[in-house]
Amino acid sequence: MDQIKGSSDNMEVVTAERMTPKKKQTKSLHPFSVLVKILVYLSAIITVSVLVFIIAYILIMGVSNITPELFEWKYTPENVSMMPAIINTLTMTALTLLMAVPIGIFSAIYLVEYAKRGSKLVKIIRLTTETLSGIPSIVFGLFGFLAFVVAAGWGYSLLAGAITLAIMVLPLIIRTTEEALLAVPDTYREGSFGLGAGKLRTIFKIIVPSAMPGILSGVILSIGRISGETAALIFTAGTSAGVTTGLFRTSRTLAVHMYCLLSEGLYTRQAYATAVVLLIMVILINALSSILAKKLAKK
Amino acid sequence: MSKTSEVLMKFVFMICACVSIAAVALICVFMFANGVPAMSEIGFTEFLLGDKWRPSSDLYGIFPMIIGSIYVTAGAIIIGVPIGLLCAVFLAYYCPSKLYSIVKPAVELLAGIPSIVYGFFGLMVIVPFIKDNIARGNFIHLGGSGKGVLTASILLGIMILPTIISTVEPNLRAVPKMYYEGSLALGATKERSVFCTIVPAAKSGVMAGVVLWIGRAIGETMAVIIVAGNQPVIPEKITSGVRTLTANIVLEMAYASDLHKDALIATAVVLFVFILIINTCFSLLKRSES
Amino acid sequence: MFKTKKIVALAASAALILSMAVGCNNANNTSSDDDTSSTVDLGEINVISREDGSGTRGAFVELMGIVDENDKDATTVTAEITNSTSVMMSTVAGNESAIGYVSLGSLYDDVKALKVDGVEATPENVKSGDYKVSRPFVICYVEDKLSDLAKDFISYIMSADGQQLLTDEKYISVADGEAYAAPETALSGEISISGSTSVGPVMEKLAAAYMEKNKDVKISIEQNGSGAGIKAATEGVSDIGMSSRELKDSEKEKLADTKIALDGVAVIVNKANTVENLTSEQIKNIFLGEVTEWADVQ
Repeated sequence: MDQIKGSSDNMEVVTAERMTPKKKQTKSLHPFSVLVKILVYLSAIITVSVLVFIIAYILIMGVSNITPELFEWKYTPENVSMMPAIINTLTMTALTLLMAVPIGIFSAIYLVEYAKRGSKLVKIIRLTTETLSGIPSIVFGLFGFLAFVVAAGWGYSLLAGAITLAIMVLPLIIRTTEEALLAVPDTYREGSFGLGAGKLRTIFKIIVPSAMPGILSGVILSIGRISGETAALIFTAGTSAGVTTGLFRTSRTLAVHMYCLLSEGLYTRQAYATAVVLLIMVILINALSSILAKKLAKK
Repeated sequence: MSKTSEVLMKFVFMICACVSIAAVALICVFMFANGVPAMSEIGFTEFLLGDKWRPSSDLYGIFPMIIGSIYVTAGAIIIGVPIGLLCAVFLAYYCPSKLYSIVKPAVELLAGIPSIVYGFFGLMVIVPFIKDNIARGNFIHLGGSGKGVLTASILLGIMILPTIISTVEPNLRAVPKMYYEGSLALGATKERSVFCTIVPAAKSGVMAGVVLWIGRAIGETMAVIIVAGNQPVIPEKITSGVRTLTANIVLEMAYASDLHKDALIATAVVLFVFILIINTCFSLLKRSES
Repeated sequence: MFKTKKIVALAASAALILSMAVGCNNANNTSSDDDTSSTVDLGEINVISREDGSGTRGAFVELMGIVDENDKDATTVTAEITNSTSVMMSTVAGNESAIGYVSLGSLYDDVKALKVDGVEATPENVKSGDYKVSRPFVICYVEDKLSDLAKDFISYIMSADGQQLLTDEKYISVADGEAYAAPETALSGEISISGSTSVGPVMEKLAAAYMEKNKDVKISIEQNGSGAGIKAATEGVSDIGMSSRELKDSEKEKLADTKIALDGVAVIVNKANTVENLTSEQIKNIFLGEVTEWADVQ
């Protein structure tokens, strides 16, 4: 705590320092520099140690509780298997991305390649995507519940959950794709046009491929959010255990599964084991993405 | 590719871009249509400014929750932002590339951990720590059970770290290298160059992320609900229990019926309006800056 | 130059970790002190309650008389609120001054269940009526829309087999039916059930046992709270709703309801707490916020 307070105080020192620049400075030995350097390192250490602490906590609580019967194909109240929930998480993620990724990438293409900067439509789109990215997941959950579960009459269902999540991750995909597209040098575009390629060809053959690593990182971030989401899903996709068999069937993802296991206090140990699996899933997704990004970048 | 497909695809791109507009409009329609009638039934002032939340006695005042959300969000920002900013600086300018390849994925990992896991981590680690050292410690004795504003703020501060780092770091890197090199060449120390040239240059990009941070902090539910105590009263001390708007919804939604349920949806509407206000403020701020 | 910075940083981090460790040690010391002395000052009582509208809270408040002059729930506003049994138990297990309540079926030995008016919280005592704090598990449905299959499932729950399963899970049976026999013409189809998270886990076990006997039947169970379950049953979204509280009169107009079991509610405290027994009057005053120090009830 003290360190945290200290660092916020010292931020003010930084600004004060900026106002009255000193005339002479010896490299590195300047007290301000040393102080800032310490603070920078300290923050990095705090961040990493918190992470280590949390991961250690999950592993210590969970690993000893992992048993083979937690991975049986069929869920029963005795084994509280998480296998169906893992499968549901995969279907939910795939379905959500199927909707969000094309729409998100196309939106970004429109914003970067087609729209006139500063046009009214662009401003509105910007404002709405920013708004969407700020909306709490619980509000998405209630919206999904009111719109898809009740008004559309789908009941708690895979589809209702996936659409809700798709809207939720859309701004993330738009933003990262936009950044990636903007980072593509204009010479690429000019070169392609100069060779006689049309705009569409230029976009799909030149710009999108070279922006791929950036786009992919956005997709990966979305996968992380989807697999960890609880609040939006308990009101839309439902909590029934078992493998989802259709678009209009309820679907309990791994994070929701963990929430359910914890809520009645009957399966606390299994819940911690689930947390370990979730963690491993996130690590796998992250590792996969960095490998993919590297491969694409090499091309 | 033919001319028609060019035009057609441009149209498709535009439609896709409008999906987010449609989504916001839809959310507005559904939330307001369900929440506003309940608000008017309870009475707008009673609902927004009433300080008693007792659904069993038909008292629906969410003022303590509004204050609670503001306190906890502010606390999270105070704790999370300095650390997050400095950590982003570390990653962009201090981190050796070998270490970077470990720390960066680690920070991303922090973002992928489900919030309910954070919640239990908070309950098992932060709550006892606060209880034994601050709430009921030998030296500091502020009272309370360890759950409350401070605990929730610390946990949320940790949870928004990855969001802060991932929005700030690219902005720092986007500042042209020559700013930094120029500053170094003029004899400034590394720290001075970073904090006096790079950070100000990246400011506007960073500001755009602030909405996201606040949104993440104010909207977090599953973790806060476990460590905040959830008393529907305005907290008096930093160790007093607090209930946020999000916690109010998730706590009671499962069992609510009739007006109680509508009042919870109305709570979500208030939360939504909050986000809209914050967003508009920031976009106005940006406009006045440029 | 660079190296010294690194050393400074390392030292700082070591200090941070050490301070954390010291903090933890302190915590351990105090709790072990509590174990040894017979009467310890636990200080202020940390009251923990469930969320408004929860079946457990409803039953607890009603039976303990934690109400105001208008017979409305008057639990002190300074009580911590949680909507999860796990959080309730973890909190009580980690806080010497806490008091809370959980379903008897969820009770774990991390915490200590108090005697109420000298009576221990056991299923036997609930059944005999000596232990007063209990609540019903109810299922509800629209009578004339109920399929034959769903009717058969309900008859299974009320049969000796179903009730025995409930008893095995530490709930209290309410019917002395005969053994269940699967119908001669094999039933097939689906039943959708939704509602209370308290009834959910045991309903899953009932469903699993039923599906064992009727292989072509599929039962899906949605645990989303009593309110949601009752609503789903009323609207026909689900065949059967589960509730861990009695139905309100407005709900009973549209739905038929059957009590399938009773569930005791145990009052729990930390294991370091030396209090073994509280009278219902004391519990009432604690939850009303009129008694705030452990010293007053020890």
